[in-house]
Amino acid sequence: MTDRYGFNRRRFLQGSAAVAGGLMLPASLLSACGDDNVSGSALTLARPDRPVTLPTAVNPIAGGLSHEGGTLQILNWVDYLNPDTLARFEELYGVKTAVTTYDTEEIALNKLRSGAFQPDLIIGLTDSVLPRLVAADLLQPLNKSYLSNFNNVIAGLRDPYYDVGAQYTVPYIIYSTGIGYRADMDVDTSYFDSGNGWDILWDPAYSGRLGILDSYRDVIGSVLHRNGEDINTGDQKVLDAVLEDLREMAAATNPKIDILAYTEVPAGTRAVNQCWSGDMLLGVWYLPEDVDWNVLSYWQPDDMVTGNDFFCIPTNSARPVLAHEFTNFFLDVDNALENFGWTGYQPALEALPASTLIEWEYVPPNLENALITPEQYAAGKRAVALEPEVDNRWTDVWAAFNAG
Amino acid sequence: MRKNEGQWLWGLLAAPGTIWLLLLFALPFYGLACVAFGEIDPIFRNAVAAWNPLEWRFENFGEVMGEILTGSLRRVFVRTFGYVLAAVVLSFLIGYPVAYYLARHAGRWRGLLLALMILPFWVNYLMRMLAWVNLLQVDGWATKAFSAFGFQYNFLDGKGITVILGLVYGYVPFLVLPLYASLERLDVRLLEAARDLGASPGHAFRMVTVPLSRPGMMAAGVIIALPMFGDYYTNDMLSRSPATEMIGNQVDFYLNGTTQPQKGAVLVLVLSAMLVVFMSYYLVTTMRMQRELQT
Repeated sequence: MTDRYGFNRRRFLQGSAAVAGGLMLPASLLSACGDDNVSGSALTLARPDRPVTLPTAVNPIAGGLSHEGGTLQILNWVDYLNPDTLARFEELYGVKTAVTTYDTEEIALNKLRSGAFQPDLIIGLTDSVLPRLVAADLLQPLNKSYLSNFNNVIAGLRDPYYDVGAQYTVPYIIYSTGIGYRADMDVDTSYFDSGNGWDILWDPAYSGRLGILDSYRDVIGSVLHRNGEDINTGDQKVLDAVLEDLREMAAATNPKIDILAYTEVPAGTRAVNQCWSGDMLLGVWYLPEDVDWNVLSYWQPDDMVTGNDFFCIPTNSARPVLAHEFTNFFLDVDNALENFGWTGYQPALEALPASTLIEWEYVPPNLENALITPEQYAAGKRAVALEPEVDNRWTDVWAAFNAG
Repeated sequence: MRKNEGQWLWGLLAAPGTIWLLLLFALPFYGLACVAFGEIDPIFRNAVAAWNPLEWRFENFGEVMGEILTGSLRRVFVRTFGYVLAAVVLSFLIGYPVAYYLARHAGRWRGLLLALMILPFWVNYLMRMLAWVNLLQVDGWATKAFSAFGFQYNFLDGKGITVILGLVYGYVPFLVLPLYASLERLDVRLLEAARDLGASPGHAFRMVTVPLSRPGMMAAGVIIALPMFGDYYTNDMLSRSPATEMIGNQVDFYLNGTTQPQKGAVLVLVLSAMLVVFMSYYLVTTMRMQRELQT
């Protein structure tokens, strides 16, 4: 997709799912903290209970250097940075920034591998693609002495399982997967009170008014969660059952499959939509003027599925110091808040509690549950990178479901 | 000029087109086959083309063919052929009268009307589809107009008819122009002769105009049908529902959304092979008609 409607920033999750099979790496490339590998000696896949320390082929840049000036080349999703915050960074450091966009993580990876474009900083990639970037020596380790705001990052991500010691990455955004709905559109909220709100996706009462994410990782993961299964399973029988469930859903509600919940639910064209937490946070700005912003609502399971993306710096960055400064700038609470006010996605920072965001009217009170607390993040489930053969099973299920 | 020199000159004139075909069609198509029968990089999970045909692997091809013959892809192929057939028929029902009017009855307005026919080409296809989304959404003008007559219908909730209408809307200008060119060249004296021999206007149309415009109809049909088979964005914009999935959507998914691009490449090859059958029929029929017209 390619640029569907130009809303590419939403595709970062879709893209992450699309490459979720990409962590097949020789043991020599990665060293795991855990003592067992998921798929034998040839594979090392990071898991929350089996964190991975990525190898470092080069040293970080020296500390105490002045930034290089000039124009910082950034590779990012479309509309994934607030232009006002960018302008303030430029003014503060006396530099320029130039943003080049990518549609999927695969495209970003290929751009970097081909050397056709050499950015100074990359934003929005996920752990699905990280080991491959490191294996190809495309990233440089970070020098934390430039990241004085690093401690603002939520505790659970200062030492992430996919990059122990945060050697290469600094978290940017966190999100969860749930269901967004318009409370004023006759939605049966007892589904959400029951604890398994996913069931509403099978209710024919919402046929023609319901959508799901165009992301096989999220949709299949939610069905697995509903069924009480492992959300990263590779069991073919379990996945076959998911396919049957999805076909039942299609027969019952004929869902729209896209990533437009943040416009369609506020507009009232859909009453219910599986979505990411940021969709509803952003969606309040897409509500018609005569609609109260409290009608937008969000449900997520107590043991929610959470994820994040990050900043990282390519090996060939011509301005690594400036890239560090930029990253540090966005770890500042005020700057992150300003950025959040435009992008709608929650910064992965400890010091932005829901109460503050609601009090300052960044978020309506009824969407408090769309904000992820550090405790929720720590307790949440992770949709981890899948082994290649497992990922193929997932995409085949998704293709068969889409075939109708 | 001697005969051999003439042949050499014509060969030279054909060279740019030949090179163009080789570089931008034959070579990429071979590359596609090499991807379809190639492997996946174990680390980076991208396609590794097998440029040597002796190294081609056919597991993916067999798997995809199995899905087409007995699995979920069969529904997608049947649906796609149904949609394209319906869209082509509808396009003819709409486009033929327009082309006929332009060629035979437009008079001094012909130039202006032709310009208006070309106007849609100035607007990007996706923009035109987005315009349809605006018209057909719940509060869109078209939906409101239907509602005014008591007809409540949500066009955008995954309906096959919406996809077919979108295809017709998107491709009908491509049908009208070749049809117009065919009808405009039609020898009027043949129609006059039919009338002189006692044929009614309708009879003359059926017995003279329609048969003589068949080559144009064939060409126009092929021109719109071929891209419809590979179309995925019309469906993406107007439906994006499992109930309306087309072959192009599956190709798009496998090539852009998974780490199994070789399956997308196989689907393209299978679709191309099917379309070659249609193209062969078109070429044979056209040549036969030309021979009949010459005798």
